[in-house]
Amino acid sequence: MPIRFVLATAVLSALAWGVQRRFGGYPPHPGGQLLGAREWAFLEAASEVMFPPGGALSPSGREAGVPAFVDGYVASVPSGMRLLMRLLLLLFEQATLLFSAPGAGGHRRFSDLSTAQRAAVFEGWRTSRLFPRRLAFTSLRALLCMGYLADPAVLRELGLAPWEIVPPIAKADLLYPPIGRPRAEIRHRETTLPSDGTPLEIGGPIDPGYRGSEAAS
Amino acid sequence: MSVTACPGEGEVRVFADYDGDFVDEADVVVVGSGPTGSVVTHELARAGRKVVLIEEGPPFTPEEFVLEGAGSMARTMREGGLRTTRGYVMPTMQPIALGGGSLVNSAICPRAPEFVLDDWCTRFDLARTRRQDLDPHYDAVGNFLGIAPTPDDVQGSRNLLFRDGCRALGYSSEPIPRNVRGCRGSGECFTGCRNRAKQSMYLSYIPAAIELGARVLTSLRVVKVLANERRAEAVVGRVVEPFTGRLGPRFRVNARVVVLAAGCVATPVILGKSGNLANRSGQVGENLQFHPGVAITGVFPDRTHPEFGATQGYQSRQFLEDGFKLETLWAPPAVLAVRTPGFGLALKERLAEVPYSATWDAIGSCHRSLGKVVPRRRSMDPVLRYQLHPGDVKVLQHALWILAEIFFAAGARKIQPAIHGLPEEMHSLAEADVIRTAEIRAIDLICGGNHVFCTTRMHGNPSQGVVDEDGCCHDLENLYIADTGIFPRCSGVNPMFTAMALAHRQAGVIEDRLP
Repeated sequence: MPIRFVLATAVLSALAWGVQRRFGGYPPHPGGQLLGAREWAFLEAASEVMFPPGGALSPSGREAGVPAFVDGYVASVPSGMRLLMRLLLLLFEQATLLFSAPGAGGHRRFSDLSTAQRAAVFEGWRTSRLFPRRLAFTSLRALLCMGYLADPAVLRELGLAPWEIVPPIAKADLLYPPIGRPRAEIRHRETTLPSDGTPLEIGGPIDPGYRGSEAAS
Repeated sequence: MSVTACPGEGEVRVFADYDGDFVDEADVVVVGSGPTGSVVTHELARAGRKVVLIEEGPPFTPEEFVLEGAGSMARTMREGGLRTTRGYVMPTMQPIALGGGSLVNSAICPRAPEFVLDDWCTRFDLARTRRQDLDPHYDAVGNFLGIAPTPDDVQGSRNLLFRDGCRALGYSSEPIPRNVRGCRGSGECFTGCRNRAKQSMYLSYIPAAIELGARVLTSLRVVKVLANERRAEAVVGRVVEPFTGRLGPRFRVNARVVVLAAGCVATPVILGKSGNLANRSGQVGENLQFHPGVAITGVFPDRTHPEFGATQGYQSRQFLEDGFKLETLWAPPAVLAVRTPGFGLALKERLAEVPYSATWDAIGSCHRSLGKVVPRRRSMDPVLRYQLHPGDVKVLQHALWILAEIFFAAGARKIQPAIHGLPEEMHSLAEADVIRTAEIRAIDLICGGNHVFCTTRMHGNPSQGVVDEDGCCHDLENLYIADTGIFPRCSGVNPMFTAMALAHRQAGVIEDRLP
């Protein structure tokens, strides 16, 4: 067998093994709306660094359901934005190829790093002299913060859960059906008195049934 | 296509009502149901004209409000609320909903300062757009919407602390005039007012217009204005499914007058897709201006209960002639947290301080910073190019310094200025002095692209503007533009009330000219 053929096969096999190791072999994810195993693995790793257990607010990022929130949120935005957000997640997961973490194995993908290494990676992005890197980190942090602060348990701990409000029924409500439904399904048939402007009471009541974002559903 | 009769009775049509291609007829077709389109529609319906109001978004009611910030933006804003400018990267939001921006804005309604309008008239060859010319129209709109200063009992601490800080420094401040009736201080303007206090257009002008016979067609995307020489004849487009953007049947609305009120960003795109309509001046899509916004979060020793209080209840116009306006601010915590520095336990610690915090912002009258709206080839979403001028960066820097002063005068124990290169937290005014003295670049700031202007600006000279003083296109005698694109320069204050006053005047002009 020609030696060139053998060498080429060996090189290609090594490349394939490397690509598979870098981009594959993720554990199965719990199942969401859109994102795959690679993205879930990154989000779980990133959530725990962004919002670790303990500290001033009890839920961690994972406990607050940040990965599931991001999955639902990405599924709800227009397709162009969806692609950009998935590329953002891919960027952070794989950028250690270029911007490695300190310590042994710093070139591994983000979700395979130790917690300390992941924190160091984030610090590198956050304080980078390059504006695009800082912007990328700000974008990722904004995304994860939106998920963390959407969690009803976090909002209750902060005293920021939504008010319990019974909306008055205005004339407009006799005109508009639920979104996507025909006019025959207009909910309301008569108006109620408008708000008289009595201020809400500081400290409550908050909505006991608030379960978080319905945007992804 | 089937032809729909105009029965003369007002109605709303929604996505589920469209079962095929259709053609409609009207005296006036208005594209866009935001504040300006709603005013024009109402006034012309009141005059007895057959008006069709077209809106791309759906009607929201409180049952459909999402109380969490990101989810709300995904449903009510174009591009999921994630639209940004290119060049200088800045987020900017344009809503897609019945009522337009009035559904999710903070209801702020100041009149434009006299010096701003005088400057417009001088620079842009206008004769009838000074304060005294617009005051009757401000009065009419203000009376309809109940625009009044926010009362103290719904201000809450995060607004009143601003007042106290300004007082301590001798800076003027006042309650923000807003289009609300019966505000209870729930602070939910950004996600939709469940108390039905904010007089968004879908609650106020639009139902009133329907009672007067206007027809409101939602979930319709106008893609072109059809014109023949110097006259617009119709608008055409597609039905669009809410949230998915899937396109449905085609429509055409023939009209004697066409009013584009689709917004400063969308109107130039429609004109571009219409064969570069109304653009002999070359000004369509040019001169894009914003009020870039910067903000500081201050943390106080005692709880500020930020969950309670008018979303934006207090303002200071002390520095308008220096180029900026100061305001108090509230939004869902998830939205405000974009500015919170750090990560990990440090971030959690800062988030835990939100119940003790207030965020106050400055909007810059940055007329030196310019950009353009460029239509994309296969989309109605535009590319927004924009650069923040170094001179305007200095204005924003000065504004941040003043905010820092006000925070410490109000008793804040620390502030978070969110300026790259400076300390993330400052614990005294002396520490904060670096805000005033540092060399700050545009990319060191976190700016929001509040309020958009000038992309179809008015000018007395047809070679330098798209529309005349009445918003009538120089090139077409029956094509009008009613949104903030017609402002010749940014207004320095929140533009909704001024835009509505101009629209109110324009409706009268259209009525006078229609036989």
